[in-house]
Amino acid sequence: MTNSNREIFLDKIATKAGRPRHQLKNHPFVPINDLPESTLAGKSQDELLELAQKNSEAVHVTFEKTNRSSLSALLNDFLSAKDINNLILPTCDKWTTFGLSDWENKLVDSAEFWAPESSRTENLAKANAADGAIGFADYLLAESGTITVATTPGQGRGFHFLPTHYLSIIPKSHILSRSRQAMRKYEAAITSGRLTTSNINFITGPSNSGDIEMVLVVGVHGPLDMTYVVVEDL
Amino acid sequence: MTISTSDKPFLTRVKESENDHFMQQSVAKAQDAQWDKRTAAREELGNWEQWRDLGEQIRQHVIKYLPDYLEQFSDNVEKKGGHVFFAQTDEQAVNYIKKIAKEKKAHRIVKSKSMVTTEINLDKALLSLPETSIMETDLAEFILQEDNWDEPTHIVFPTLHKNRDQIQNVFKKLGYSGSNDPEEMAKFARKYLREYFMQADLGITGCNFAIADNGMINLVTNEGNADLTMAIPKTQIVVMGMERIVPSLKEAEVLDNMLSRSAVGQKLTSYCSFSGPQVNGESDGPTDFHVVILDNGRSNALGTDFEPVLQCIRCGACLNVCPIYRHIGGHGYGSIYPGPIGAVLSPVLDGYEKFGDLPFASSLCAACTETCPVRIPLHQLLIKHRKVMMDKLKMDHSFNNVLMKGAGVATSSPILFKIALEGAHMGSAPLSKSKETSVDNLFNYGHIEKAPSIASGWTDVRDLARPPKHSDDFRSWYKKHKKEQQEGVSHD
Repeated sequence: MTNSNREIFLDKIATKAGRPRHQLKNHPFVPINDLPESTLAGKSQDELLELAQKNSEAVHVTFEKTNRSSLSALLNDFLSAKDINNLILPTCDKWTTFGLSDWENKLVDSAEFWAPESSRTENLAKANAADGAIGFADYLLAESGTITVATTPGQGRGFHFLPTHYLSIIPKSHILSRSRQAMRKYEAAITSGRLTTSNINFITGPSNSGDIEMVLVVGVHGPLDMTYVVVEDL
Repeated sequence: MTISTSDKPFLTRVKESENDHFMQQSVAKAQDAQWDKRTAAREELGNWEQWRDLGEQIRQHVIKYLPDYLEQFSDNVEKKGGHVFFAQTDEQAVNYIKKIAKEKKAHRIVKSKSMVTTEINLDKALLSLPETSIMETDLAEFILQEDNWDEPTHIVFPTLHKNRDQIQNVFKKLGYSGSNDPEEMAKFARKYLREYFMQADLGITGCNFAIADNGMINLVTNEGNADLTMAIPKTQIVVMGMERIVPSLKEAEVLDNMLSRSAVGQKLTSYCSFSGPQVNGESDGPTDFHVVILDNGRSNALGTDFEPVLQCIRCGACLNVCPIYRHIGGHGYGSIYPGPIGAVLSPVLDGYEKFGDLPFASSLCAACTETCPVRIPLHQLLIKHRKVMMDKLKMDHSFNNVLMKGAGVATSSPILFKIALEGAHMGSAPLSKSKETSVDNLFNYGHIEKAPSIASGWTDVRDLARPPKHSDDFRSWYKKHKKEQQEGVSHD
């Protein structure tokens, strides 16, 4: 059935528009200005960190700054403060990068992992039962307080939405000014084959809704709260 | 087509809306709050007018090359293992989706908020399938569903017309025993919907923007239900209006920023997602991915003065500044697309017979045009609708039209006009009566009580004096008078 009706459909709208098909090759989109690139351009990582903190806190995010050596202690504090008993973690090679190998190893028996070898049902059930998730973000956008995450076999889609409390770890060097810069990096990674993913999430604070009398309710379907941890020496 | 939300006449709907004081207060409160948030978000971004230029350019470009972008998008979805169905009508779209649901033996369907699925009345069509249940998972849409499928009143805030007590009563039917506190009720909905989500086997979403060069779809939400809809079920069906397309992730990112700021005054909404079918190694996300691309009347705008309406990104900002919407709310419009954008779009999609009143539901203050992030000239399109209706529907196209054209020729030609004047007295003789009148005219040649054709407009309400003899008419008198003046004849 796929596409059996495509040509008829496209010919019809071309006729109605009075414009022939297959003209795009000679008329690619060229933006009228460079605002997406130039807005907030030229800021240092320190300036971006300051801006990211301000804008993250504005969207109800708990924003923490730490360094590699103190990161595990901060994570333990998070688990205690939120009273997390069912933790889910990603399966990835970033634990070493962030100096968390020992911390992760200690949790192997008590925490659940989103595992590439597990089935859809198993991984989703683990995430749904979790009252806390600690994951890694690809980038943090200073302008909006947004973390970005591409789905991987070890950190699936449901990992970011099903647990009750959510903490994301981001290296300071991965703070970008805006969504445009993140898009450029993702496009380059996908085009070069360095990234294979079905899904990219831009997450800006906890889920929320104003559907009942326009009263802002934080935490609807996704996590009830969000914590960003920026590791300053990475 | 089911964009109509009421069978009642426009004026009846308006009267009912005028009497709904809670709705009016809610709309006013929402408009005022959104004004502040929207303005602040745009000012903080800076160069807003230039951003509008860019937004308009992106949307105009994709509409201009729409078949090419849809072809590119379709190819890329298929390269990823997805399927694309092009539906010219709502019926074709619904039948395709029902077919997929049957093939997949779907019993529990989850949906995220989507105007286009409301447009094609998809929920009720799917409920006609045996042993199939469906759940709207956006909090507002969930409330509407559980309130006997009440109609939405706003593109972005569908339950604006409901107060917390009404919502509490809706939830009581589902076993809720808590207070009318919005946070407590939202938590109840979270738990209720989560249990359904975890058993769902088919997910249906709309699409804010389809990415032509990589086949992904972009969804912009705040609650997270759309992402669960794209994560948990094995099958996902995306339904999109054919105009909801952008060249690449970069243009989607620009429009997401503009949409978030214009719709809810946020820099970005909580969740902006770019998604497609599951790839090797991933364990969640759809293994079976379908996109339904819908025309359903949108192509009526192509190549016409109404083409700019297809630029719309459904932010609802025009509703939030409209003085008419402030008074009559969404239900007053009688279309699932209310407000200024609805008043332009609804007649394009479904004709003047159903929605011919809507272009007149406007003060033409142009606030909608001013706020539109992609520069749709909304108030000008409303005027254009009025002109089209006047020309097509109200103008007399009978023989009278020919007579009017003849009259136009005669009155613009001095020779013909003079001949007509000279013959008017004689020509009107068969129609004239000479009985006594209540007023004595200088020249009383009788009068006409019933004139034919275009002149009947006059005689329907009053008598028409018979034209005088040519020797007595004004032009003859004036000519004679001037001559006498020149010759020095005095009338004293």
